[in-house]
Amino acid sequence: MSMLRTEEMTLNMGPQHPSTHGVLRFVIRTDGEVMREAIPDVGYLHRSIEKIAEKVGYHGFMPYTDRVDYVCAMFTNQAWGMACEKLAGVEVPRRGEYCRVIAAEFNRIASHLLTVGLMGMDIGAMTPFVHALREREMINDLIEELCGARLTFNYMRIGGVAWDLPPGWRDKALAYLDHLEPIVNEFNALFSYNKICIERLAKVAAIGPADAIDYNLVGPNLRAAGVNWDVRRDLPYSVYPEFDFEIPLGSGEWGAIGDAMDRYMMRIRELTQSARILRQALTQIPDGPVLAKVVRNFKPAAGECQVRVESARGDQGWYVVSDGTSYPWRVHVRTGSFAAMGMIQKLSRGLMIADLVVLIASLDVIAPEIDR
Amino acid sequence: MGAAATYFRHLREAVVSIFDGMAVSASHLIRRPYTIQYPDRMPVRVQDTLPFRYRGILDVDLEICTGCLACDRACPIDCIAIAIEKNAATREIVISQFDIDLAKCMYCGLCSEPCPTGAIHHTTEFEGADFSLESLIRRFIAEPVVAYKAKKGAEPDVAVADLLTRGMTYVDEWAQPGSDKPAAVAAAPQAAVAPVVPVPGPGK
Ligand code: SF4
Ligand code: SF4
Repeated sequence: MSMLRTEEMTLNMGPQHPSTHGVLRFVIRTDGEVMREAIPDVGYLHRSIEKIAEKVGYHGFMPYTDRVDYVCAMFTNQAWGMACEKLAGVEVPRRGEYCRVIAAEFNRIASHLLTVGLMGMDIGAMTPFVHALREREMINDLIEELCGARLTFNYMRIGGVAWDLPPGWRDKALAYLDHLEPIVNEFNALFSYNKICIERLAKVAAIGPADAIDYNLVGPNLRAAGVNWDVRRDLPYSVYPEFDFEIPLGSGEWGAIGDAMDRYMMRIRELTQSARILRQALTQIPDGPVLAKVVRNFKPAAGECQVRVESARGDQGWYVVSDGTSYPWRVHVRTGSFAAMGMIQKLSRGLMIADLVVLIASLDVIAPEIDR
Repeated sequence: MGAAATYFRHLREAVVSIFDGMAVSASHLIRRPYTIQYPDRMPVRVQDTLPFRYRGILDVDLEICTGCLACDRACPIDCIAIAIEKNAATREIVISQFDIDLAKCMYCGLCSEPCPTGAIHHTTEFEGADFSLESLIRRFIAEPVVAYKAKKGAEPDVAVADLLTRGMTYVDEWAQPGSDKPAAVAAAPQAAVAPVVPVPGPGK
């Protein structure tokens, strides 16, 4: 046997690989099936969105924020609105805030459904993907009725939202929530509690709480590692303090805390929590205006501000510097996917190539959010 | 527990959970399908089932355009090109060019939001594939036209009055800043045809 010579091989995965979420590239140094290292190479989807903000002004940038993270664009909309409102001291009417939360939480459900569906597809199960997308499609129909678009919503404006809830929409939304809760159980029976799925995801690429904090993970990835942190509760914004909801945490019940299964189940559990917030928001929504009066030529005073929202991919930070003109001087977005990418190189050591796909899917990275 | 027992327990769990999943799949054999065969087997055109707020390809009703350029200024990527001339004597505005470059447009709706009459608006049309970029530039004006001017009282011209009613319904759909009136209560024409896509509800 000593005649057999093994050598390390360098493989290229991506940028156009079906199971890297968007245009992502990995340079993989591998010895057989086991990787020595996978080095992420980002930047293929860089569209200088932050720079564009300096050219199109405050109102005009709203549709561009949709493109920062097109899977959950409501949160980027909301964050941009909040940043501008903070700079100029605009107060959003309460009904406007409720509309924002309703739209955003629906978007979170849609985004998590896509994530859990993609997890199925990435490990070779097509059926759960189709089931999850069917549910997401119904949310898209609702959102389409609300704001006229299915993906790039441009629903929010500085000072509120652009459209009030259409007549009869509330009942449809509540009916959808009634429909969703049994579907989550059905989805669990179909896929999450399937033995093959559990065996495939459990104990893969576990991230402990200390590592998660060191590598700056946010959102469901951080909570899967057992760190109890959610911007909606800990740095409350909008009307979130008025709702009663739980923050699910990873417990390592499938073997290791913060493994791929924990991260996957985190999304499933957040589906029901979002539905819970939505139910309260839809029943409590007050009457009143939805949009504050904001001048067309929006010129906040010189200054800077930082806002944070809990998007479906975690804590998203927007930093805006204004120099008092009608164009922002600098905009920066801090996204969860970018931080998660930084961890892949470390986690990939000793992982099988097939598990890299699981790792990417379980971290829920979205290429436009990495590169912006 | 011995290795053999663990082995058989895993086998049992695998078989049971696979059957759980199969049961879910099988139950979909008797549910109503959610997908539709577009575009061949549609009982009605998809365009007719879309909600009123749908942001499809832009259209302009020049009869009610006031030439105020609000849409041009609001568009973040300058895909609207309007040329106007002011006639000092008659105080009329003459619009000689109104182009929208659909290849650049991102259907954001920022242009139709400030329009005072709803002249520029999104339709529910979305099938815009074409063979050249040139033909995606929609030119709405062949001959220079005189811009619409709001008149006192009712609009005398019936055709224009109809357009204006449609336009104002569109304008009303937008949230009015600071106004208490829930915009949607205005007689928003719902899609005339019952939606083909089943409304999500329990038991589907
Ligand atoms: S929809 Fe947006 S991009 Fe298109 S013309 Fe109107 S403002 Fe410009
Ligand atoms: S389409 Fe509307 S916004 Fe644009 S110039 Fe005409 S009236 Fe003004």
